[in-house]
Amino acid sequence: MNDARNLWSRRLRTDFRAALSIIAALAVVPLFVSSPYWLGILVVSIYFALLALGWNLLAGFTGQFSLAPAAFAMLGAYATALLDYHLKAPLAIGIPAGILATALLGWLLGRIVLRLKGPYLALTTLSFAEISRVVVGNSHEFTRGDQGLNVPTLMQSRVGYYYLFLAVLLGVLCALYLLMRARAGRFWLAIRDDETGAASRGIDVVRYKTLAFALSCAICGLAGSLYGTFSQLVSPELGLLLQTGLVISMVVIGGMGTLTGPVAGALIVYLSSELLRGVGNIQLIVFSLVVIVFARFFRTGLFGLATGRR
Amino acid sequence: MLALDLFVNGLIFGLFYALMAVGLAMVFGVLKVVNFAHGEFYMVGAYTYVLCAMKLNVSPWVALAMAAFAGAALGWTVERLLMRPLYVGYASWSIMKDEYAVVVTFGLSLLLINLVDKVVGPYPYRGPALIETSRFAVGPVMLNGQKLIAAGISAALLVALALFIKRSLWGRQIQAVAQNRLGASLAGIDATRTTSLIFAISGLLAALAGALLAPLINPSPDVGAFPAIKSYVIVVLGGMGSLWGAMAAALILGVLESFFAVYVSYDYRDAFGLLILMLVLIFRPQGLLGEKGREV
Repeated sequence: MNDARNLWSRRLRTDFRAALSIIAALAVVPLFVSSPYWLGILVVSIYFALLALGWNLLAGFTGQFSLAPAAFAMLGAYATALLDYHLKAPLAIGIPAGILATALLGWLLGRIVLRLKGPYLALTTLSFAEISRVVVGNSHEFTRGDQGLNVPTLMQSRVGYYYLFLAVLLGVLCALYLLMRARAGRFWLAIRDDETGAASRGIDVVRYKTLAFALSCAICGLAGSLYGTFSQLVSPELGLLLQTGLVISMVVIGGMGTLTGPVAGALIVYLSSELLRGVGNIQLIVFSLVVIVFARFFRTGLFGLATGRR
Repeated sequence: MLALDLFVNGLIFGLFYALMAVGLAMVFGVLKVVNFAHGEFYMVGAYTYVLCAMKLNVSPWVALAMAAFAGAALGWTVERLLMRPLYVGYASWSIMKDEYAVVVTFGLSLLLINLVDKVVGPYPYRGPALIETSRFAVGPVMLNGQKLIAAGISAALLVALALFIKRSLWGRQIQAVAQNRLGASLAGIDATRTTSLIFAISGLLAALAGALLAPLINPSPDVGAFPAIKSYVIVVLGGMGSLWGAMAAALILGVLESFFAVYVSYDYRDAFGLLILMLVLIFRPQGLLGEKGREV
């Protein structure tokens, strides 16, 4: 028992260090890359890394396979944008409001789907995602529909934005590491592996499941809200199912249920998709193929391959 | 008299929905997973029909048969390559089974959409109709030939499927495997082959739905998303895995939607079905006709 605990802590520590070294490597990138185009690409891939980490908390650590991460990014972005559009609220209020709104919605969704598992859970979250996208896209007088909303920016500097996203990524990563090391993390893993068993050992399953939903959705909302200020335009396209598909493929390729996996997966998938775009727009064909192969044959993803765990 | 027109047209769309949804329900019945690439079987059927009819200049009826064959072959291949781990080595997969199925079918859906987008092109095609007629009125109901003949073929296919499942040996084997895979194998049924058969039928029906509707919808690579979502709603509404429930729910949804679009809101008609889906999953997860006590 003691051994097993040490094994998990050691594995988590290795995992965390690997993720930190990726962030350290990213931190020196602006010394070599000054092109605003490539910095922009990197910012978007960090945005996806945040979504992937948020989704992984729910699907990889807690075993709740949601299909709504992109929808929550859209909702977070819209919360910020709507506050600015209707009330002229400054971003210092708008961004925390985006996080809070998505955390509340995530908590609510978590309560609603509490008893659902597997395909039922996937379908319910999928319909939640599509309903919110349809509603946002069609409420023309309130959200301007498919035209989208303009959002003020935090700063003009690309490098500044790059470091802001990197700092947020670092913060989220550290928070997740601390949570996973603490009691909550153990409880989430127990719920993932055997919900009935976890409940029988006295774990408050309802509370920890809804907590995981709220936190995961808040991370997605934060990512979306920041991304909105970066691109200065939010539209319902942020919540497309395709975006969720991208997030899932990043986590599956990187390695589900790890901290390094989602970050590495997001960077690899998004950056190589930029490279493949030059070779005639085949990036999505390649990735969907890679995802199927990984899910079929390498279920622990790149992180599992690298650490020899299959 | 608008109501009658809406009712008949809703019923016709319900028949198309049923053709899509029964395949999904059969797959769920036997493997307990949702095939998120089901809409792409429909899309492949529509494209096979249109391209065969236009590029090979064969008669639309031959193109229809080719679409059916393509759908069946695709379904069979998908089962053979990707679904087999779900029941071979069942025990070791029990925890991650649902996740695997979602990831793989979701990936497959992206793959097929983008493959068609790249190979055929993103522009919508218009296929030739099975019979060319202009719109005509039967009493207060506006119809056209293609819609009527497609609805007729759909109804015939559904009846044939029902007879096949109820009466034929293969159909009874399908029922047996859906009820209890292990028990069926002990009774001498080849459960693996039966699962392949189910996927082939599921692909065939979805592809035929796509081919029959191709002249009306102008297929583009992402055309499958919309009918796939309808099928999820129907399968949940009818009770996951219940074939008769799916058929009934399809007709009900078709009619309800057609009224909702006119009398309540056209913009939100797609959200309406999804709302039903969420409510049913939350309050009556066994569906309208589903078995009670299924683990949810």
